[in-house]
Amino acid sequence: MKALILVGGFGTRLRPLTLSVPKPLVEFANKPMILHQIEALKAIGVTEVVLAINYQPEVMMNFLKEFEEKVGIKITCSQETEPLGTAGPLALAKDKLIDDSGSPFFVLNSDVISDYPFKEMIEFHNAHGGEASIMVTKVDEPSKYGVVVMEEATGKVERFVEKPKLFVGNKINAGIYLLNPSVLDRIELKPTSIEKEIFPKIAAEEKLYAMTLPGFWMDIGQPKDYITGLTLYLDSLRKKSPSKLASGSNIVGNVLVHETAKIGEGCLIGPDVAIGPGCVIESGVRLSRCTMMRGVRIKNHACISSSIIGWHSTVGQWARVENMTILGEDVHVGDEVYSNGGVVLPHKEIKSSILKPEIVM
Amino acid sequence: MGSSDEKVVAVIMVGGPTKGTRFRPLSLNIPKPLFPLAGHPMVHHPINACKRIPNLAQIYLVGFYEEREFALYVSSISNELRVPVRYLKEDKPHGSAGGLYKFRDLIMEDSPSHIFLLNCDVCCSFPLPEMLEAHRSYGGIGTILVIKVSAESASQFGELVADPVTNELLHYTEKPETFVSDRINCGVYIFTPEIFTAIQDVSTQRKDRANLRRMSSFEALQSATRSLPADFVRLDQDILSPLAGKKKLYTYETMDYWEQIKTPGMSLKCSALYLGHYRHTSPHLLAIGDGTKSATIIGDVYIHPSAKVHPTAKLGPNVSISANARVGPGARLISCILLDDVEVKENGVVIHSIVGWKSSIGRWSRVQGGGDYNAKLGITILGESVAVEDEVVVINSIVLPNKTLNISVQEEIIL
Repeated sequence: MKALILVGGFGTRLRPLTLSVPKPLVEFANKPMILHQIEALKAIGVTEVVLAINYQPEVMMNFLKEFEEKVGIKITCSQETEPLGTAGPLALAKDKLIDDSGSPFFVLNSDVISDYPFKEMIEFHNAHGGEASIMVTKVDEPSKYGVVVMEEATGKVERFVEKPKLFVGNKINAGIYLLNPSVLDRIELKPTSIEKEIFPKIAAEEKLYAMTLPGFWMDIGQPKDYITGLTLYLDSLRKKSPSKLASGSNIVGNVLVHETAKIGEGCLIGPDVAIGPGCVIESGVRLSRCTMMRGVRIKNHACISSSIIGWHSTVGQWARVENMTILGEDVHVGDEVYSNGGVVLPHKEIKSSILKPEIVM
Repeated sequence: MGSSDEKVVAVIMVGGPTKGTRFRPLSLNIPKPLFPLAGHPMVHHPINACKRIPNLAQIYLVGFYEEREFALYVSSISNELRVPVRYLKEDKPHGSAGGLYKFRDLIMEDSPSHIFLLNCDVCCSFPLPEMLEAHRSYGGIGTILVIKVSAESASQFGELVADPVTNELLHYTEKPETFVSDRINCGVYIFTPEIFTAIQDVSTQRKDRANLRRMSSFEALQSATRSLPADFVRLDQDILSPLAGKKKLYTYETMDYWEQIKTPGMSLKCSALYLGHYRHTSPHLLAIGDGTKSATIIGDVYIHPSAKVHPTAKLGPNVSISANARVGPGARLISCILLDDVEVKENGVVIHSIVGWKSSIGRWSRVQGGGDYNAKLGITILGESVAVEDEVVVINSIVLPNKTLNISVQEEIIL
């Protein structure tokens, strides 16, 4: 089986992190985002992954060469020279996706994090015998999304309603598809939306089925959802492999600590914290709902919540960093400084407090 | 030149509970003059400065607070200074000249040659012996302490013009609309007993005028609905203005610091100034420590002997800690006043703030002000018995007494 991951563009919504690293390589729970997907695909027998990408393929490939061997999967890039929407890249990668087996292939949106129940999806796809399957997930506020209206019993998709004002259903497209090769015949090599142009046609022919995603789902394409996504992910990890989570008297709730990270005395860490490789958390530090990327240092008595601390950044003694503060790579927050929602671009030094959410260029 | 056995008395005007409302919520619990700056009551600093006056016979505090509110302080300071200190309660506000006049018999009991008159809500180095010497050389009935300020800020105060050679007061005007001078009245005076005659004259004139049952336009400006009572005499408008240019009043200019303490924000600034003053006058009051046996100290810090500060805490600059306060492990205090019985728990941070009596700051909590001492919410103030729970952040806010904060707040006044 093969799979295509829609990586897309510059990942502007996840800036300033994506100013340093292409979005798929930004770590989520101590692992590049795209690796979560690749490992899950490998686990159900996918042998080749095509990344549909429109910038920096060299950086991506250099990095992914390493993983090809480690994970044991073939990874290639399909580079768009102009943006092709969500369907166009499938046409572009057509030759890579089709092989003699005629088996269906996966298409994933790279921003989506979940338990990836690919096995169940294959069973679902085989059972309904249609042309395409999509995963849907239940949301609290369907009016913000494109809602998939479907027959509850069979999952047969009736129609799509973009940002409905009146309630038509609470299931939305989760960005995970399983498609027969014949779907590729429906897509031309031009900018095309799979959700708006291709799926409605398949649905009209009653060949599109939706499966409700068991477990959690989150689009982590922006910082706020990245932090929420970490909570959901760690919660799932607690159920599946609790031994991967940290434990001890200084740990509260679900906390992931890389084996090379160091934590000082008198700290209180958690819930929902990921501490990356080589991080140093000094004494008396409080961390909750936050992510420390590789090589971060948090100095004595600092307090961090609901924030992302970029690679090799430091937070000074008695500093307070909170409320969706996002520090880019190599940012240094001074001693006693308060950051309330500061979004700081790479290689900056913050010497005075940021009292209201703002962007520091 | 006066002889060495001439007696001097000092009168400190402390105001009353209807004054100083801008000092709320701190003045809800304590008379403003007793609010501690640099670890000692506001009024302590002028009183302490009086110690340097030769032949000081007596210090009077004049105000309209209840006597019991000052009783404890007055008795302890009398013992400490070995100079009698007495609180004199006005039945109602009389103005600063009126208040002085009301108690003229008591003040003149020891036949002093000179009377110092100090406002309690100013913060300066109180160069009183120097003023006395200058006053004697001028030969007038009064000498005013003045300071040069920026032209923009002068209009908030009494502006005055002095002769650059003789230092005579030539012109005086209170809070003018247009710029008159960048020299202002510091609210610190020395007078000869003749001042009572001058006050008497104003009072008499006013009685005469009241008898005419007509209000002059001058009075109408000051009081829209009623004329001032005969015994209400302000020092600035009623005495200094009319006597300027008559070779009776002189000025002494200080080159040190001077501030008016109207708001809690200014009390934080003045606390810093007084701590800095200790460096020269009473260095033993300032804490020292490098984090080994006692807490790390940066700059000027006062810690009451009964307060407990953990050695891993870091304090300063400009920190004053009152009696029985407890500062826990890993706490950080910068530019703040902790009042009696305050507790700062592990890793708590307090910056540009005043923390009221018996309040507590939770673990990893942060209480912070922006540090603009003149702005309404430029510092954070917690009233008495306010509890800030663990990890809560309080920024640029005022919290009235007996509140518990379990969520973070910013730029709010919490009733």
